[in-house]
Amino acid sequence: MRRAGLLMLLVAALYSIPLVSAPYVLHILVLCCLYAIPAVGLNLMLGYTGLVSLGHIAFAGIGAYTAAYLMVDLKLGYWSALALAVAASGVAGAVIGAICLRFRSHFFMIVTLAFGLMLYSVMNNWDEVTRGAAGFPGIPRPAGFGPLESFYRLALGGALVAFAVQWLVVRSSFGRILVALRQDERLAEAKGVNAALCKTAVFALGSALAGLGGVLLVSFLRVAAPASFNLAESINAVLIVIIGGAGSLAGPILGALLFVGLPELLRVAAEWRLVVFGAILVLITLFAPNGIADLIARGWNRLGR
Amino acid sequence: MAAALLEQLVNGLMTGSIYVLIALGMVLIYGVMHVLNFAHGVLFMVGGYVCHFFYTRLTGSYTAALLLSMATLALIGAGIERSIFRPLQGNLRNQVIASLGLILVIENLVVAIWGPNALQMKTPATEHLISLGELRFPLQHLMIIVVTSVVVAALFAFLKWSKLGTALRATSQDRNAAMVVGIPVERVDVASFALGTALAALGGALVGPLFLVFPQMGDAPMVKGLAGILLGGMGSVPGAVIGGLIIGVAESVSTLFLPTDYRDSIAFAIMVLILLARPRGLFGVRMRGEA
Repeated sequence: MRRAGLLMLLVAALYSIPLVSAPYVLHILVLCCLYAIPAVGLNLMLGYTGLVSLGHIAFAGIGAYTAAYLMVDLKLGYWSALALAVAASGVAGAVIGAICLRFRSHFFMIVTLAFGLMLYSVMNNWDEVTRGAAGFPGIPRPAGFGPLESFYRLALGGALVAFAVQWLVVRSSFGRILVALRQDERLAEAKGVNAALCKTAVFALGSALAGLGGVLLVSFLRVAAPASFNLAESINAVLIVIIGGAGSLAGPILGALLFVGLPELLRVAAEWRLVVFGAILVLITLFAPNGIADLIARGWNRLGR
Repeated sequence: MAAALLEQLVNGLMTGSIYVLIALGMVLIYGVMHVLNFAHGVLFMVGGYVCHFFYTRLTGSYTAALLLSMATLALIGAGIERSIFRPLQGNLRNQVIASLGLILVIENLVVAIWGPNALQMKTPATEHLISLGELRFPLQHLMIIVVTSVVVAALFAFLKWSKLGTALRATSQDRNAAMVVGIPVERVDVASFALGTALAALGGALVGPLFLVFPQMGDAPMVKGLAGILLGGMGSVPGAVIGGLIIGVAESVSTLFLPTDYRDSIAFAIMVLILLARPRGLFGVRMRGEA
């Protein structure tokens, strides 16, 4: 009960940040939220189920371009276009996921990577629909969420929705099945779990969350560009989940904060900042293999004792 | 049509050779250490830069620059193995993550040192055209194919007959058994990593003069090399050669029928289709840790 209260307090604090904060900080916080949403989806796949997808952000691209097409070319309203785009990402995730999931470990990673690159190539080259490499301009923000302060609240809302979905899944019996599949797939199957179906379902769910993040991202930037959904971004999503702590509820959120925030803090070092950042990443895999969330949890426990 | 087909065949063999060099390095490392090094593409890129440095700044001889670049990258590869991949041995997921982090470090280090713009590296072999029937190719195309064939033959001989090569094969077949018969497996790990990155450096140094030397030049070849490995069968050295060549030729020939924009997708589509039909690839070998 006390934890719920603390969480409410935190959300209220986050909601009222625009009252006190500079636009620069707010901009960064919006990006944190928008990076966190697909990362939450990936955390369900990678952290809980053990599926390392290297093409995750391509599904954000499917959502983003579907929304862009529906809003700009078909003049559909914002919220219905958003819902349809999220559904499209989920369906694409189910279909492509079903193919990828026929492979295991390294093979799975490489096939997801290949699909990510193929989807990127479609976004980059299908000029009639996606406007090609120049990007798809003129994507609206929903009515009432135009200025930065109110868009921040939309992004925060999106991140909260993603977090809530993750929380509901993890504490459900479906969530426990996912963890069982990660730990020992054969044993889980022997207990009557339909492994292929459950893994496809979590792939679809993760992709739908990625789609939500993609739509909000392009409506924040007001343009959908293929470069927002390339291989590097998919790799970034994996890094966010891992730094934060794969398989922990707060992991992807912490990871996104660190991923977006740390390079900003290191800005003094200009062109060396990504080098330093990458080095920190490697150090985390070497010395804190369970991510920041685990590090904080251990520190907290030690303090409590 | 026949001339166009021949032209694309030569182009395909050239790009395929580059994919083979990348794929061989990755397959050696994967076979011995069971590590999938996604940073292999950036090491290929560093090979191009180092070769450019030695060629334009120090020696002025392309061959010397090529060999120096391979030697430098072998040292870098050995260093990476010792400092990053050995401590993470057995943790498959974190090895992959560390290699992704390495991509960030190395790529941005290169940008910080050499700047983000592409560098030119003109060699006599790119200027000199040779004719093949009615077609004309830069000599560099043929040089890439010939050098790769020689290197592949040498690698096979090394693996088959040399003591270290035999130790390498033994370690990749069964690490524990290799240890029991007294093979220093950790030294074999370093050797395979150094050899693999040297092959990547050779690839980067060979394409550098043809296309430009730029920070992302290794991204696509790395993924194509991976596709080649999967196609040939993970862990199979001859498979990596055949797979890399198939990918190179298929994507070049496909440009005759399909828009060139989709060339990259062709390689992946072929890979996924073949894998669905033959999950272990064309020359599939059973790997440790898999049923």
